[in-house]
Amino acid sequence: MDEKIQSVAIIGAGVMGASIAGHIASAGFPVLLLDLVKPDTPDRNAVARTAIDRLKTAQPSPLMSQRAARLITPGNIEDDLWKLAEYDWILEAVTEKIHVKKPLYDRIAEVRKPGSIVSSNTSTIPLSNLLLDVPSTLKPDFLITHFFNPPRYMRLLELVVSSHTRLESASRVSDFCDVALGKTVIRCKDTPGFVANRIGAYWLQTAAAFALHYGLRVEEADKIMGRPFGFPSTGIFGLMDLVGLDITTQVNESLARLLPAGDAFHEANRDLPTIRNLIAGGYLGKKGAGGFYRTREIGSGLLTETLCLTAASAGDLEWRPIRAPQYLKILESGQDIKDLLDAESVYGQYAWAVLGRLFAYSASLVGEISSDIATVDEAMRFGYAWAYGPFELIDRLGGTYVRKRLADLTLPVPKILADVGEGKFYKEDKGTLLYFGLDRAYQPVIRPPGVLLLQDIKRGKSPLITNESASVWDVGDGVLCFELHSPMNALDEDVLDLLEQAIGLASKGHVAMVIYSEDLRASPGHENFSVGANLGLAMFAANIRMWPKIEQLLAKGQRIYQLVRTAPFPVIGAPAGRALGGGCEMLLHCSAVQAHAECYIGLVEASVGLVPAWGGCAELLTRWRSDNKVPHGPMPATIRAFQIISTAKVSRSAEEARDQKFLQERDGITMNRHRVLGDAKAHALRLAPNYEPPSSSQPLQLPGRSGWISLTMAVEDFRKKGIATAHDVAILNHLAWILTGGDADLIEPVAQSAILDLEHQAFMKLIRLKKTQLRIKHVLDTGKPLRN
Amino acid sequence: MTNVVIAGFVRSPFTPASKGSLARVRPDEMAADVVRALIERTQINPEDIEDIIAGCAFPEAEQGLNVGRLIGLLADLPIAVAGATVNRFCGSSMYSIHMAAGAIKMGAGEAFVAVGVESMSRVPMGGYNPLPSPRLYAKNEAAYISMGETAENVAKRWRITRSAQEEFAVGSHRKAATAQRQGKLTNEIVPINTSAGICSLDECIRSDTTPEILAGLNPAFNAAGVVTAGTSSPLTDGTAAVLVCSENYAMRHGLAVSARIVSIAVAGCAPEIMGIGPVVAARKALARARLKAQNMDIIELNEAFSSQVLASIQDLNLDVTRINLDGGAIALGHPLGASGARITGKAAQLLEREGGKYALATQCIGGGQGIATVLEAV
Repeated sequence: MDEKIQSVAIIGAGVMGASIAGHIASAGFPVLLLDLVKPDTPDRNAVARTAIDRLKTAQPSPLMSQRAARLITPGNIEDDLWKLAEYDWILEAVTEKIHVKKPLYDRIAEVRKPGSIVSSNTSTIPLSNLLLDVPSTLKPDFLITHFFNPPRYMRLLELVVSSHTRLESASRVSDFCDVALGKTVIRCKDTPGFVANRIGAYWLQTAAAFALHYGLRVEEADKIMGRPFGFPSTGIFGLMDLVGLDITTQVNESLARLLPAGDAFHEANRDLPTIRNLIAGGYLGKKGAGGFYRTREIGSGLLTETLCLTAASAGDLEWRPIRAPQYLKILESGQDIKDLLDAESVYGQYAWAVLGRLFAYSASLVGEISSDIATVDEAMRFGYAWAYGPFELIDRLGGTYVRKRLADLTLPVPKILADVGEGKFYKEDKGTLLYFGLDRAYQPVIRPPGVLLLQDIKRGKSPLITNESASVWDVGDGVLCFELHSPMNALDEDVLDLLEQAIGLASKGHVAMVIYSEDLRASPGHENFSVGANLGLAMFAANIRMWPKIEQLLAKGQRIYQLVRTAPFPVIGAPAGRALGGGCEMLLHCSAVQAHAECYIGLVEASVGLVPAWGGCAELLTRWRSDNKVPHGPMPATIRAFQIISTAKVSRSAEEARDQKFLQERDGITMNRHRVLGDAKAHALRLAPNYEPPSSSQPLQLPGRSGWISLTMAVEDFRKKGIATAHDVAILNHLAWILTGGDADLIEPVAQSAILDLEHQAFMKLIRLKKTQLRIKHVLDTGKPLRN
Repeated sequence: MTNVVIAGFVRSPFTPASKGSLARVRPDEMAADVVRALIERTQINPEDIEDIIAGCAFPEAEQGLNVGRLIGLLADLPIAVAGATVNRFCGSSMYSIHMAAGAIKMGAGEAFVAVGVESMSRVPMGGYNPLPSPRLYAKNEAAYISMGETAENVAKRWRITRSAQEEFAVGSHRKAATAQRQGKLTNEIVPINTSAGICSLDECIRSDTTPEILAGLNPAFNAAGVVTAGTSSPLTDGTAAVLVCSENYAMRHGLAVSARIVSIAVAGCAPEIMGIGPVVAARKALARARLKAQNMDIIELNEAFSSQVLASIQDLNLDVTRINLDGGAIALGHPLGASGARITGKAAQLLEREGGKYALATQCIGGGQGIATVLEAV
């Protein structure tokens, strides 16, 4: 009865319902998606079907692979409600109107199987209100599961249970959302807006009102309420545009209706004519004609403008070209936020007016909305993508500072902020992270079972070996963790040297190694496993023509990656985020990979005028050659590898990386970012007993010069079509030479080592070319590829 | 003197590669369905068939091995009926007809099935293992030139403007759409069973295309060029079959004869202007038939590209109103190996339908060749 959830039915195929369905399908589970029957349409499932089709094209994609859409079955609530009996979890995501929800609950109660979980995705209606209308037979299995938009990317899931809810039902859905869907599940008290929206809405309203009060421009306010404090760079107005001004207003109205008089939200929730006028003018934000930001086509380019807040307040909707905010060091560095908060400028006054109120409001709510501060911080980190929760921010400033400055705002100091005194909200004790509890005692931060964080392991310990770019940690049970920590985890000689040492170290008394990096404060999609070789160093060496130095680094990379491949113990790559170029090649040489689902893997060397030369060509080619589904003969595998590398294809998820063979069947995918290291360690321990390193790769039958001609002809056609530049042609002709085996003959298979030599030769020729150097410089300067 | 006649023509619908209804159908099985239908419709005694000659431009994978033999076995033909595969790229299945005609003239059989097949969804153009000879490439790069580039070369050398190409393409779609609407294509089509249901209609035709729409397309092969996807035949899946037999056999067995084969020819031209192949081949075939282009009442000129059709019309001095009455490959599609059987069968069918004395079916062929067949009404 209480087995793991294996299937989910979702009622309501609006943006949230459909996107949740997409995410559950991405996790590999079948989903039934039901909505109304559209009148006068022959297809009775048209509403749900259209929603599924939209998932396939929406950007950013709600799906981790197009295949996932096939796991979603469309249906309608008139014909298909009986099917709910087959599903373990029934999730209601219909409109926020109780008179719509109530009859649905009655019908669900009639058809569902005993013990199946029924939840509402409501963001505004308290559970106690919903329970008034829920049939009594449903109550033991009824709860609120509140996803954040977009469900694929926002990690927070707020869980609200009632006194009727069975513990088993709560833990079943909580486990499923955590392990299978990758969510950080927090238990919220049953209060309006739960945790994240309660604080988030207050923050948005306060920040918008004070931006108007201080006469700031949209871009100025967003710059301040963005990166410096670890808020997403969308700031507040950008976020309102993204969410939709109509939705933001609805959330505010609902909170205003439900929150008791005296709640500070009411004061923050001022009537802002600016927003009212925008909505009246049909400007709802990004989903429509624009809002605070507007993008217009000017000639062949795009011009982004921002709303003039003061004019809009008076009813005149005017947008003006963005002007960079007046220079402020803190906005650039993002280091010491106190500098910004103390600044006497209007920027400083604005920042504290918002942050001070945010801190006071958050601190006043602990106990009411959650049982502790850690839950509040997690809610804001994972629900609003803040790098730091409010209490972590207070810790960065110090309680004394915050209390003192609250007086500037004539705000009372909330009890917990007074109680913490000179101490901090978080502290470490004997390697354990503790938080300050409502009972004034420090409590350990408890991770869910199976979660293993490197930050916890590192606390109070020293690495076994370390240098500027990498460190090696003992993660227990005989497993070492090789941690990358150079800027963006770019690979340099330090990384390679330490990797060689780590392999030596692991050979003595350890059973496995995991290659990993952890930046849990990165906003969704912005973490780096490794962006590849350190191009700055390569550029420096090229500038002073230190070719032997580059040759030496190339050879060293090839040698050490081969050591990874042939290590006498399993080496598990555990990437999250981007694994590009040399970072991708590192994974290609691991015994297996345990990847976070949000993994963006690619051999992107061609975009900087180079070719993969640490074994990436050889390994990818070998993988395609070993696939029995690829047509026979010397060319098909070569063509596939060529297509992937020549276009610098980067997978848009770990699941998609399987399509390019950056990941293989043997590799695992972990949905929850916090479980990647734990799963990788478990993967390593599964492989460790009786581990045999792979035997040396079989020589490959390659087409040689005939195949090279074939590929170069195709490249030339691309040039004529205007798709490839002259320099692309030069790069790709070298790539073709590697992947066809150079001067190979069909009947003389080419050894892996010969392909590595071809990689090396091609790389050294390309790096000497001026146009390649220009490409590298451009990427270093702008972060964007140059097509020359 | 033995005369050779065309006594039956059928084909599958032609559908766009990868996205059409036949993309998931194996070419060998689709060809067998069409051959079976040819035999049923013509009422020929299958025991009398000497050979199945299958034309295919990239005879590998599912259309590989000796697909001619395999089609016979798949179609449950008597075990004694032989099978061969022939490759002359786009001219493959017209050449199947020529081979059958030659054998009949030699007295080496009385009835043949000439079939053409190509799944451009399932076997890529160029095949899975394109391996050009380095020696030939060094000597004559154009031996491996892409077809699009030859279309650009022809456009340039024969001064065929982009708008003229587009006008021709729109005309082809218009004629094909009209023929489809009036049911003129129905009788030649054999519905094919697919996993998604029965496919019985051509799917490449764009009845709503206009010169304005085509004018908006980007060049497909050369950024500075004049040839677009709209003035090129689309990648297509399809198959076509023609019953070729001696006139004597047809009379003895009461078969419905559409046309008599008067002459045939193949000829080479420079690979980089392969689209002009119909000119050299048709001239030869016409000379062998002691006829002139002006004598041709019906002309089927395979539309690989608008530019090469217009250049061929120009050089052969053809009457445009007699060409491709039911539309051509730009509208209907061009499953490489199948097009020769389709246009020869079509020319015979049109002679019968429209009346007239003579017909010409001709094609260009990648690598620099042309092929032509002259038919006579019976």
